[in-house]
Amino acid sequence: MNLSEDQILALAPDEASKKAGRDLSGPSKWVSKGANEQALWGECQGSGSKPYQTQIDLAGMTFKCSCPSRKFPCKHGLGLLLFQAKQPVLFTEKEAPAWVAEWLKKKQEKTEKKPEGASQPVDEAAQFKRQQAREKGVADGIEELLRWMKDIVRNGILPIPEKGPAFFSAMAKRMIDAKAPGLAGMVKNLGNTDFFIEGWQSTFMDQLARIYLVISGFKNKDNISPSLKEDVRNWIGFTQNQDELKEKNGITDTWLVLGKQVTEDDNLATERNWLYGTQSGQYALVLQFSVPGQGTNFSLTPGMVLQAELVFFPSAEPMRAIIKRQLSTGNQARVTGLSSWLKVAESATNSNVRVPFTQERPYIIQQLKPVQYNSQWWLADRENRLVQLKSGYQNLYTLLSVSGGKALDMVVFGKENLYEPMGIWEGENYIVI
Amino acid sequence: MEIWNNIIQAAMLGTDKRQVVAGEFTEDFTEVMAAVTNNQSIDKEEKFLQASAIVFNYRQCGSLPVYKEGIDLPEAPVEEFPVCRQAATNILNDILNEDSLSLLTIWLQFCGKNNQLVTPRLVPVLLNKAEKQKALQGLVEKCCGRRGEWLAQFNANWSFSSGTSADELWQTGTPDQRKQVLQQLRITDPGTAREWLQQTWPQENANSKAALLKALSINAGNDDIAWLETVATEKAQKVKDEALNILKLIPASAVVQKYKNLLRETVTLKKEKAMFGLTTKTSLQIQLPAVIDEEIYKTGIEKLSNQKEIPDEEFIVSQLMRSVPPDSWESLFTANPETIINYFQQQESTKKFLAAIVISVVRFQDKRWAVAFMQYSKIFYIDIIPLLPLQQQEFYSNKFFGGYENSIINHAIERKEEWGVELTRNIFRFTADNPYQYNRSFYNKYIHLVPVQIIGELEKCKPANDYDKSVWSNTSEYITKLITLKIQTIKAFQ
Repeated sequence: MNLSEDQILALAPDEASKKAGRDLSGPSKWVSKGANEQALWGECQGSGSKPYQTQIDLAGMTFKCSCPSRKFPCKHGLGLLLFQAKQPVLFTEKEAPAWVAEWLKKKQEKTEKKPEGASQPVDEAAQFKRQQAREKGVADGIEELLRWMKDIVRNGILPIPEKGPAFFSAMAKRMIDAKAPGLAGMVKNLGNTDFFIEGWQSTFMDQLARIYLVISGFKNKDNISPSLKEDVRNWIGFTQNQDELKEKNGITDTWLVLGKQVTEDDNLATERNWLYGTQSGQYALVLQFSVPGQGTNFSLTPGMVLQAELVFFPSAEPMRAIIKRQLSTGNQARVTGLSSWLKVAESATNSNVRVPFTQERPYIIQQLKPVQYNSQWWLADRENRLVQLKSGYQNLYTLLSVSGGKALDMVVFGKENLYEPMGIWEGENYIVI
Repeated sequence: MEIWNNIIQAAMLGTDKRQVVAGEFTEDFTEVMAAVTNNQSIDKEEKFLQASAIVFNYRQCGSLPVYKEGIDLPEAPVEEFPVCRQAATNILNDILNEDSLSLLTIWLQFCGKNNQLVTPRLVPVLLNKAEKQKALQGLVEKCCGRRGEWLAQFNANWSFSSGTSADELWQTGTPDQRKQVLQQLRITDPGTAREWLQQTWPQENANSKAALLKALSINAGNDDIAWLETVATEKAQKVKDEALNILKLIPASAVVQKYKNLLRETVTLKKEKAMFGLTTKTSLQIQLPAVIDEEIYKTGIEKLSNQKEIPDEEFIVSQLMRSVPPDSWESLFTANPETIINYFQQQESTKKFLAAIVISVVRFQDKRWAVAFMQYSKIFYIDIIPLLPLQQQEFYSNKFFGGYENSIINHAIERKEEWGVELTRNIFRFTADNPYQYNRSFYNKYIHLVPVQIIGELEKCKPANDYDKSVWSNTSEYITKLITLKIQTIKAFQ
């Protein structure tokens, strides 16, 4: 597996780690190093007398280092990967030392070990009672949320920007109390509307309509399809037992990581990884959460290709998934995207029909080119159909420069008539821009 | 979408003031809206929320791209030169991350010399750099090739790279761009540069005249004299001053000739008997004539000394000596520089004027006299170093390093050529002892002057003081990183 420097740096938890990793990407600090098909390892001389032992499982892209850093991956892990990417010929040692072999063995044993506790007896009556109480709590919360929304539309949304964050955070807290964290997040997002930009009213009403659709779905849960009901429950915040999910069969495919979006809220980092199954044509969203000092289960970086089994959350429009098994990683995959914007519109419409409160998502489209029309930048397909680039798209000049005015196969992210490029294919290589 | 706009309008005012009525919807909504409106179990607010959710979904599902023919972007022209190797691109990335202008310049120089181009992905990054660092513009323009020119048309800040001709830039560019164009032309074709300025002169205001005139100090020559002398009579003082400053750089100009003539009357050779009349001794006599043309004082020569210990007459003579080319003395005394320097060195009263002649050597960039001063002067004049041949610069910088450290470093950083290993060692030893004055940014800025061979000698530059030693350990690690990037750059283009 050969990740590019950009892909390696995309694994870094922050800018400081990128810089520190780069500083360790030369041979001077590494007292030993080696690589084989399974792993990459090295001993890095730090300030102490004993060098830090850094090891990377290449199949799962998991890192381990004996340094005390609370960052993940640490600078040594990043530095070692960068070092190997720059000067692979220096990694002549193929025989993993004992400390690496032992770690790999333990990992293997852990993967093979059956989950414990599956046979523990479950008090079904108590469980049912708990579920009933939860449903009742959520239903009460939803009534309160609906009243709050009605107050908003009764009085009009014009004075909303003056209400301040507390207006929204109070209701979000109430939703947490009602055990509806998904709704709490939606209310928070409503409050995060950028009230300073022109047209905020439309964005605000979109989100209000989305919340209304979710709560209406919950109130009418007996009249909707079981799969849509699952979507509604997910949006409200009913959790899905991931161990149970992992018991199900998933889709084993060669997955290309199209993009990674990281947000941080209250010290909780949320990593949204968008994947695409190169054989199945299925898109997937793999969420990973981490708090400072704790790494994520999988190190995913845009452009990385992983042979893995993904299990999707039950949904009328399956998108969110978990990685059940990661078999190997690579870095090249050619895919064929949709042929035109009309095909995107058709696909998006079908998704909306199945789940009416979807959000922005990626699409792979063939041969798009940036063009200027009405003093705005658009992406034109081969059929002269244009979709506007999101305003404030930061990498316009990189896109223009790479394209040179020619059409490119592209991954775009957005919805309706506003998209922005997430990555492009430059020859056989997928690169994020 | 009109229906959605109606929803937004109603939402802004509130359902108490405005309802969305059936007539506002298109035919597609008749059935579903009837169901909403006729539902007696919900209030008007919920009816509005339902209507909003329906229209929101209708909008989402019906969103179509715009169809427009004939909208296209001209493709970037095919490049003449190849893109550099991936290894070179990786190094460029590292250099950009290090934020070293010095290394970036080296990288671009190598790329340009090898007729290679930067990868298109980094073209905007380099154009942004060059927008802020004007010195990089030529190199960036070359290394970004036709893709850079093509891209620059979409960003006004990158106009320097849009392929606009020098003539066009001179006619329509910003004041800065016009000044740069003129400076550039003055290097390659001084006559045309002057003609361009003459053509637009009547349209320029005083500030722009003064700013543009400065460019004429590059390669100022006899052909400029006539026009500069007319400019020197303009109304605006700053324009006059600028013209006079340039005229003072041209030996054949009337003002310099005037100084020369006055000096001819002031500095004379006097032959005296010595050794009881057995030999003749020639010495200098310096005395201003009794009557001096007052016009001299209108050309920037000050009448009164600004230092107590220097008499007015000495001050005036000194100013005149600074303003005439050193070879004037050769014609005045029919002697070579060695003899003339010796004349001045003979007496305490004349020795002090050597400093003024040194200033004139620097002012008129007289390399022959610079070498003569180094050979025959009993005093070391540090300002002369940059005028010496490279080998001599190294030799004298090393010879006089102790005692003149900061001055020699100041000259060394102005050099275009790399320092020698010995000079670098001297500089590093001194800077290692003065980590607050010479910190990382010093090495970052001047790494292009540091020879790569020094990499093995950094340990030898270690200061004695324990604290400085630990600082130097970090600094030398940083220098090693910079030198490594420099070595990698050289290798990447081999």
